[in-house]
Amino acid sequence: MSRPLPGPTVRGLEAIVGPEHVITHRDRLLAYESDGLTAYRVAPRAVVLPATTEEVSKVVELLHGARIEIVPRGAGTGLSGGALPTEDGVVVGTARMNRVLSIDPVDRLATIQPGVVNARLTEATRPHGLYYAPDPSSQSTCTLGGNVAENSGGPHCLKYGVTSRYVTGLTVVLTGGRVVRLGGAGRLAADGLDLVGLFVGSEGCFGIATEIEVRLLPLPAGVRTLLGMFDTMEAAGHAVTAIIGSGLMPAAVEIIDKATIDAVEASVFAAGYPKGVGAALVIEFDGTEAGLDEDADRAEACCFEAGATEVRRATSEEERLALWRGRKKAFGAMGRIAPDLLVQDATVPRTRLPEVLARIAEIAVEYDLTIANVFHAGDGNLHPNILFDRDDADQLERVERASREIMKLCVSVGGTITGEHGVGVDKRGYMDLVHNEVELDMLRRVRSVFDPDGLWNPDKVIPPVASGSPAEAAAEAVSA
Amino acid sequence: MAGPALTHAPAGRLADALEAQRERLLPCVHCGFCLPACPTYNRLGDENDSPRGRLHLMQAVVDGRLEASSDAFQTHIDRCLGCRACEPVCPSGVEYGTLLELARDVAADARPPGLLTRLLLGVMARPTMRRLFFLGGRLLRGSGLAALGASVLPASGPLGNARLGLAMLAATRDGRAQVRQVAGPPATDPVEGAVPSPAAAPSARRRVGVLEGCVQDGLFGRINEATVRTLRANGFDVVRVPRQDCCGALHAHGGDLEGARRLARRNVEAFERAGIDLVVVNAAGCGAVMKEYGTLFEAEPAMAERAGAFSGRVRDVNELLAEAGPRAGASVACSVAYDHPCHLQHAQGLAEPPLRVLGAVPGVDVRIVAGADECCGGAGIYGMTHPELGGRIGRDKVASVRAAAADAACTPNPGCMMQIGAGLRLEGVPGPVFHPVELLDMSYERAGYYGTARAEGGA
Repeated sequence: MSRPLPGPTVRGLEAIVGPEHVITHRDRLLAYESDGLTAYRVAPRAVVLPATTEEVSKVVELLHGARIEIVPRGAGTGLSGGALPTEDGVVVGTARMNRVLSIDPVDRLATIQPGVVNARLTEATRPHGLYYAPDPSSQSTCTLGGNVAENSGGPHCLKYGVTSRYVTGLTVVLTGGRVVRLGGAGRLAADGLDLVGLFVGSEGCFGIATEIEVRLLPLPAGVRTLLGMFDTMEAAGHAVTAIIGSGLMPAAVEIIDKATIDAVEASVFAAGYPKGVGAALVIEFDGTEAGLDEDADRAEACCFEAGATEVRRATSEEERLALWRGRKKAFGAMGRIAPDLLVQDATVPRTRLPEVLARIAEIAVEYDLTIANVFHAGDGNLHPNILFDRDDADQLERVERASREIMKLCVSVGGTITGEHGVGVDKRGYMDLVHNEVELDMLRRVRSVFDPDGLWNPDKVIPPVASGSPAEAAAEAVSA
Repeated sequence: MAGPALTHAPAGRLADALEAQRERLLPCVHCGFCLPACPTYNRLGDENDSPRGRLHLMQAVVDGRLEASSDAFQTHIDRCLGCRACEPVCPSGVEYGTLLELARDVAADARPPGLLTRLLLGVMARPTMRRLFFLGGRLLRGSGLAALGASVLPASGPLGNARLGLAMLAATRDGRAQVRQVAGPPATDPVEGAVPSPAAAPSARRRVGVLEGCVQDGLFGRINEATVRTLRANGFDVVRVPRQDCCGALHAHGGDLEGARRLARRNVEAFERAGIDLVVVNAAGCGAVMKEYGTLFEAEPAMAERAGAFSGRVRDVNELLAEAGPRAGASVACSVAYDHPCHLQHAQGLAEPPLRVLGAVPGVDVRIVAGADECCGGAGIYGMTHPELGGRIGRDKVASVRAAAADAACTPNPGCMMQIGAGLRLEGVPGPVFHPVELLDMSYERAGYYGTARAEGGA
């Protein structure tokens, strides 16, 4: 149970943001005990909801002055427990910082507050013929502050790249409440080390971004979306390899397996995916109209060569959106199958997809678990969804072991432990699979530049120094 | 702390009730897709005031981690508008509306709701008191006292609620004269595009009964009349259904499920006796609850079956008219700012039908207000029980309606009509607010579908 905050601290916070925006009663802290990953639950000591950079700065100054840990939180949709509170910490939420501050259609830039929902930025810029490219599957609800923290990707990142490619400048509140402006579109020339790049993906361990400047893209003139159906996951995997290998540049390539198709079709977002097939592949091309049909034809041919039983083309924008809606709501739709869900996130080289998928199916059998697969196949980003019931302790334990097994598998074929969800608390234990002690030590040192006292989102991302290791001795030597 | 909480009667009841609702509660995987759809979360930023947060509180009560009488449960369950905008965006299909009603019922058992809520529910459940209440309302409205009070009473303080109540009452007035002025006299020649389509063939005539309702019957009699006339003009055989009652929506939403069941039972019996094919409802809130009567009686299998059959016959008037065409009338040239009622769009999944009804009125320029899929803040008596938040939500809606710069506002639900009408009045721009069937009715009248006996303006 978290200790209540001292009275003067609470009053200080209330004076900064207003009493109605400070949550301290333990009953009202329950709603904050998890983010999108419910396997972990810790209620914080308080939740503070500031509205401006100045308020965030003062809140951080006050809390850090009292040596109280801070866990930043956006919409709480993250899937690696990155916004999981700590028992001794206070959650600083950006829910009230939800304004689009400026849109510059000529320079194709927008500046927003961190609580702006990803999809709302595109809604706001569409009248100017522009959009924000990174499109996490939760884009209808996740916030840009969270996207910056996690360096989020999404289906279209295959062609367009992840968040870091679009963030040009940041206003950040650092330890003790200092406010710093990093980068800025006018300073893209290499005038030093890339601090914006360093901050994007720092998972709340460096500070809180309170203003975000992003690059926008012109809306593509044309789009072609295909749906390929296969008897087996393996055949679908071969189709992906063939499409990319043929030199095509799809905007997105997504695989959905049978369990997922069934869940989506049972939900309110039924997308017209065929039932009873082993796997479906959503392939999209976008850009100028010229050449799009040829690209789609070639991809279709690749699908049939790999054994597709049927290939459909969306004939209207409505059909296209329905195909995507089903894919993007897959996570929530899993609730139809089981009460709890662990969405894993890892990447493997594309050519290794078929064998990895086959092995994941074996792991599911070995641990007696249901694993549904949805993923960004084009860039080898897997999302095995492990279904469970948290009231079943034995099952929970099997979920953890199967998870680690899958991670080890992905790393062993040359992949890594996260494609886009971040490390958070969930992947922290796998960091040693991909980083050696030297790298981990470098990560710790970088972190300590921003967070010398361990007050930003502690116990996340970087694993603690193993006792008796050379790194521990080194750390002691430094601090001595 | 898991044990003792469950021994409390209310928590135990919720636990039992929600245990029976496992299928409804458990699909929530905490994905958070509902957050941006929620008007209270969007304004307060507190996750306790989001659908996900409220479901989490319900689950905590079931798990024995939270008391149903706690401030947290009471406050945040109460603060929900019940607009159900979270339902269509939920990928897991969580039936939030049903769970909210249950949670409200339990919350009310643990701690009785406010006097205003109890008084209103009491009056609506009793036909005689209801008649007196609305008679008083019509007197205040007719004498101009409602409009006067709304303009002279102070906005804040103890009289703030009276001011809002009177403004809502004044907003129920008949606005047809104003639109007639804008639209000009009926065209003597048939308007192009207004050629009446043939009404349904007699063999296809369906026997329908109209829910008269409480507020509709008491303050919007003209909408009930327009409903009957426009349905008849589209080939439906409309019969009067005696001994029907208030639909019980206010009770179901207000934490009195037993009261809602009592009223629902009366309606099921009355409409069964009348032997009709369909039950037509012209209030979105009533239609939503009546389409879920089956769920209301889940604990009584025999009644649940009857209620389920009844629910299967319920149609919103726009839904039915849209299905029938509807036939086009004569021109009523005016612009309307249209707003979707939550209980039509989100709870019943009906966004298009009212637009098809308006589309059958030549000359009407329909302007869908910005943010039409967000609640207007009406939500029963939310504006009075939550003056500050309800006021904020209401002002945002009124700003969107005003930005549409139309001759009138239009929305097919009495609560929303009163909320928007009151909001406009309190901002000093009292404009008419219509139900779509009122405009269709005027259009039919002008087209001469009702014969020559009814002179325009006679109402």
